[in-house]
Amino acid sequence: MIRRLVVLMLLVGGAVLLEPLRAPTEGVIAPRSLFLFGILLLTADTFGALAHDLRVPRLLGYLVAGLALGPSIAGIVPVGVLEDLSMMKRLAVGLIAVLAGAELRIADLRQRGRVIAFILALQTIFVLVAVVATTLFAARWIPFLAGLSASTAFFIALLFAVMLTVNSPMVTLALLTETGAKGPLSRTTLGVVLVADVVVILLFTGAFSLAQASLGGTTAGAGVIMGQLLWEVSKAVLAGVVVGGIMSLHLHFVKRELVVFAVVVVFATAGAAEALHFELLLSLVIAGFLVENVAPVRAEPLVETLHQAAVPVFVVFFAITGAELRIEEFASFWPAVVALVLVRLIAVFGSGRLGGLWAGAEPVVTRYGWTGLVPQAGVALGLATTVADRLPAVGLSIQTLTIGIIAINQALGPILFRRGLERAGEVTAV
Amino acid sequence: MQTTLAALAVITVGYILAYLVFDRLRDRFGYVGGAEYVIIGFLLGPRMTGLLGAAEVQDLTPIVSLALGWLGMLLGTYFRLPALARIDTSHLRIAFTEALATFGFALAALLALFHYVSGYAWPEAIIQAVTLAAVATLSSAAAVDALTGRHRPVSPLVPVLQFTARIDALIAVAAFGLLLAIFHQGQVSLTVRPPTATEWAVINVAVGVSSGVLFHLFLGPGSRSDEGQGSRLFVALAGAIVVASGASYYLNLSPIYTNLVLGFILANSGAHRDVTRLLLNTERPVYLALLVFAGAAWSPSSPELLFVAPLFVLIRLAARLAGGWVAGALSAPPLLRTPWLGRALLAQGGIAVALAVNYTQVRPDLNGDLILTATLVSVLLFDIVASREVTQVVAASSAVGDPATPTDVARPEPLSS
Repeated sequence: MIRRLVVLMLLVGGAVLLEPLRAPTEGVIAPRSLFLFGILLLTADTFGALAHDLRVPRLLGYLVAGLALGPSIAGIVPVGVLEDLSMMKRLAVGLIAVLAGAELRIADLRQRGRVIAFILALQTIFVLVAVVATTLFAARWIPFLAGLSASTAFFIALLFAVMLTVNSPMVTLALLTETGAKGPLSRTTLGVVLVADVVVILLFTGAFSLAQASLGGTTAGAGVIMGQLLWEVSKAVLAGVVVGGIMSLHLHFVKRELVVFAVVVVFATAGAAEALHFELLLSLVIAGFLVENVAPVRAEPLVETLHQAAVPVFVVFFAITGAELRIEEFASFWPAVVALVLVRLIAVFGSGRLGGLWAGAEPVVTRYGWTGLVPQAGVALGLATTVADRLPAVGLSIQTLTIGIIAINQALGPILFRRGLERAGEVTAV
Repeated sequence: MQTTLAALAVITVGYILAYLVFDRLRDRFGYVGGAEYVIIGFLLGPRMTGLLGAAEVQDLTPIVSLALGWLGMLLGTYFRLPALARIDTSHLRIAFTEALATFGFALAALLALFHYVSGYAWPEAIIQAVTLAAVATLSSAAAVDALTGRHRPVSPLVPVLQFTARIDALIAVAAFGLLLAIFHQGQVSLTVRPPTATEWAVINVAVGVSSGVLFHLFLGPGSRSDEGQGSRLFVALAGAIVVASGASYYLNLSPIYTNLVLGFILANSGAHRDVTRLLLNTERPVYLALLVFAGAAWSPSSPELLFVAPLFVLIRLAARLAGGWVAGALSAPPLLRTPWLGRALLAQGGIAVALAVNYTQVRPDLNGDLILTATLVSVLLFDIVASREVTQVVAASSAVGDPATPTDVARPEPLSS
């Protein structure tokens, strides 16, 4: 480990020596970004191994590596480089979305539908109620509620709470891949976090429109909001069906070069998503789901290939996500951050336990199901960025607070979920 | 909405049709290329449907640099010193004679074309001619490997062809790397004296050597298989390649050359078996990803397609045949003597595309599209005929086993094994 760290330091030192040999130039992807992307990968790999040695999830090592090199701490990987690497992150999210969809089997959903529905419904209700109540109760310490009328404060608090109902399919899949976990807890958690992704997009679109209206940005009625919401989801579903169809054609006619094909599909879908304004993640989850469950082709080769490619994809995703975390920005809000993390944790714990109990789930699901609902990552960060961009009056402080909460959940969640999987006896890989 | 869906439909149908056509070629002639991936890239790219715009194509640079470096590193791993020491001197003589003669013939013809016919000044003519001569010199062992996979290879020519293909690639990558160092593009900081051509060449090698030594230390002396599957080694290797490629890009040098040196050092280190195995297993997806990118970045014009690219194909064919004749008929011992050595080395493979893509990144100002067009046309055409030519030459040199006989011969181990 020390040897690796020394090599990394020598690499960075070597880069400093080379610096005068080129005058600064502008490019879409600067050569410097490429070099630093390599350093980020190597550091993440090293920290991942260190995390593994310390018996914590590797992905935590990847996150810490990104955080350490990112603008918040060492600043070796600056913001511009992260912007250059956004396409790589989108590729990672897309590939995992296809894998996540393909992991969601109709048989599992039928068998576990009741448990998934109970836990998901309770999680959504508990987190919404607990977070809205806490933020309104402690409004004077919450920066984005200052000076708002009661109704506006309620809608803004609701929007904020919706972002805290988000789980992390990426963390769930990364941990299931790393630990090789199989069993009722794994299947249920995966089902909940994937279905929650669809639910949260619906909730977010609705809450966002209400918050926007209450701030005076739009006066759209409930019918219009519902129409917009349905249109957004319909586009993603339609895109998912088309992409699923293309993938099925490939699996039927070509059957080979699946990694390259998956990469091309993700890029093409990302291009289409940008042009047509639909949710990339949701459409690719649907595509994966349809290929696995509906299409008359064998999806195993694709799923197997995506599983093999998953580790490098997770490293890229979590290292970049870690580098994007700006911990210095929420440092001054830490009491509110800690309080809201605790409130969310209690809500998630209660929903997992009660949901499992009421739905008659297996004891391991009732006991440890909540651990898989703690992690938050990319989707929540994406929603926070949307709010910051489109509601500038309150969005920036909402984003700052949300990022603080996500940062803690991102660090705490994988440890709890791994512990839950171990206690449930579902871990097969050491 | 309709436009985007129509674009997706066009791409899907185009891809499936192209696949089916080339699959027939694969079945009938042992086609080893990936033309359908160039087509899908071209259909996705800004020139056709625009699903991947010019900016998005540029955003793929990390993947492309990984692919370029990956192929360069794989080439470097073929040159493991203990294995090289065991190679017959006649094989070495044939391989180097063929590679240098082919390069020389192609360079002479291309210099005449660019300077006397097209009217470029000598420096510009040299840059373009050396690049295309390197592309012309490149040959791939893929067709020979496919032959050994389908038939029982009893001809003594087979190992000669496999080795010669690697030396061809070595000469081509070294020539291209030196070209980018000698005719270096870009300004240095005002605080330092601009390095001379020789100093750039030394810096280029030094980046590769220092990267190789550092990654040898990073990977450690032992096998990584105990750390669980190849995926973690993949991450470390990808990081190493991207770092080395990033340093080369930063200095406007060739990442393929840098990674060749890096691969050579790793091949001669403790972790060589795992590294080589991983690189070999992932060679094809990496090559195809590069083809997709090359297709997306491809923007051919009519004069290039109608004039320069066909001319380059003819020049390459002539140089290959002439170089093969010099090596096979004049320098080969009686057992290996054949005037048609060049015919068996027509396949070009991934490194040719890698060189052209690298050229378009470093010298977009000097006919980048032309070099890419000529290379892609040449690679796609020669990949179609390569397998049939290899089979005929090997059969003529001695005997190829019964084509119907299933083989028990796996793909031959690289020199590094």
